[in-house]
Amino acid sequence: MSAAEVLSFDLRLELPGFTLQGAAEIPLRGITVISGSSGSGKTTLLRALAGLEPAARGHVRFGRQDWTHLPPEKRQVGFVFQDGRLFRHMSVERNIRYGARRRATPESELREVIRALDLEGMLARRPASLSGGEARRVALARALASRPRVLFLDEPMVGLDPERRGEVLPYITRAADEFGLAVLYVSHSQFEKGLLADRELPVAGGRIGAMRDGPARLELPVAEAGGGQVVFRVGGERLALPGEGEVGQLWELRPGHGSILAGAHPGATTAAAVLPVVAAGRDEAPRRVRVRIEGQEFSVPGERDYAPGEKLWLICPRLRGRWRGGWARQEKQRAK
Amino acid sequence: MTDAWGPVWLSLKLAGLTTVILLAIALPLAWWLARSRSPLRPFVEAVTALPLVMPPTVLGFYLLVLMNPDSPLGRAFVTITGETLAFSFPGLVFASVIYSFPFAVQPLQTAFQSVGRGVMEAASTLGASRLDAFRTVALPLSGRGLLTAAVLTFAHTLGEFGVVLMVGGNIPGQTRVISIEVYSAVETLDYARAHQLSAGLLAFSFVTLVVVYMLNRRGGVHVGG
Repeated sequence: MSAAEVLSFDLRLELPGFTLQGAAEIPLRGITVISGSSGSGKTTLLRALAGLEPAARGHVRFGRQDWTHLPPEKRQVGFVFQDGRLFRHMSVERNIRYGARRRATPESELREVIRALDLEGMLARRPASLSGGEARRVALARALASRPRVLFLDEPMVGLDPERRGEVLPYITRAADEFGLAVLYVSHSQFEKGLLADRELPVAGGRIGAMRDGPARLELPVAEAGGGQVVFRVGGERLALPGEGEVGQLWELRPGHGSILAGAHPGATTAAAVLPVVAAGRDEAPRRVRVRIEGQEFSVPGERDYAPGEKLWLICPRLRGRWRGGWARQEKQRAK
Repeated sequence: MTDAWGPVWLSLKLAGLTTVILLAIALPLAWWLARSRSPLRPFVEAVTALPLVMPPTVLGFYLLVLMNPDSPLGRAFVTITGETLAFSFPGLVFASVIYSFPFAVQPLQTAFQSVGRGVMEAASTLGASRLDAFRTVALPLSGRGLLTAAVLTFAHTLGEFGVVLMVGGNIPGQTRVISIEVYSAVETLDYARAHQLSAGLLAFSFVTLVVVYMLNRRGGVHVGG
């Protein structure tokens, strides 16, 4: 990977009673989830990368640019804070325009952000009158409108009830897809990680771990669409997910956590999908094997060695599909 | 009539000028006090609050020493303007700035503290320099604190007596402000004049305080809310 495409750092930050230390190279595409339990240093890492921790020692490079001594206002990081931090003395519109004016965002781009986040109806409102989910959307829009080169999201779902999460999540994937932005996403939620992560950077006790690939995913074109569902063809099987799409659209499917590799088809099952796969060898990580499906290779949990080329079945209790910020979830059905 | 209104006009001029100068000094200082983690902070805070606890005569005495034409400050003033700083209107302005210092700094400091680091960080990630963020975020959010500081400084300067007497004396048109005029009126048994000015000052001070408390109530516990 060339230097132009990564955010690399080697940092040490000593705070009272806590030390954050480690190095990593984060590819500047897709969503990188910074994971770890509360107090592990995830947020501190994000803050240090954004230039908000002046006591941090070491170096940060963004592509070819040295960020080590660059003040936060020059880094062009779109930072969405956990607590929103909207300017309460300004309307929603002035909040969104704050960064846009300082980074000379064209009006058309600004309108695009407002449209993508469905904020047209609330531009005149004050932050105090917004619901939790609305405030997160405004904070996201404010960050996007400032023409960021990378988006930092600090637990943007914390404190939202599941319904509001479902409301905000699609906007985040849409931001990453439509605006082509690399996203660093701090979260301790397995659910969000499973849904969003292209890769994962674990942080534990202030130590930054080694980068891991995100959960397995499959890219498949829609074979049939209509009637509130989209259908894919996988290794001769017909797989249907609820959702709206068009034939030929490329969707991303994620088997999610808890998938099981089996030598024989389980027959009648409550699993969301049973996918025919081919063993492709051991994975570097322990207790994982690599499998191939439709010409795509990924790693799944597996307890024993399989001969390369052996035909297997991947039983997925859950399967999620997404296209451009629209997520469809299938928990229990499997099309025949 | 001009003579009768002279002290009033002089007091207003002194209070207005003091307020403007003091806010210009207090804004950056209060910001520093609200944000700094420097070990020097308690000392600066103590110096700022000194005029609250010192007798005006003590403060006036030191100011007089400082403004003496033999002192560096006094000599510099004489060199520049050709006049002495003590017993002059500029000297009075200087003394008022020192005397009213805590009344400008403390409400601003409280207001700035309530702004918090969070929104300032948000502004910086959105491309605002420190000065820009101060102007567009911290200052508007501290509007009420700023108003409180201005009103208190103005009212406090209007009501000062001891320091004025020490460093300004009683020169008509130069240093004879309302409080001094009241003192003179009582000395010469002109009670009607003393009543007139005292009642005016009392009413003004009362209204001022009501306005300040009403502003604070609207802002909840935070002066700068």
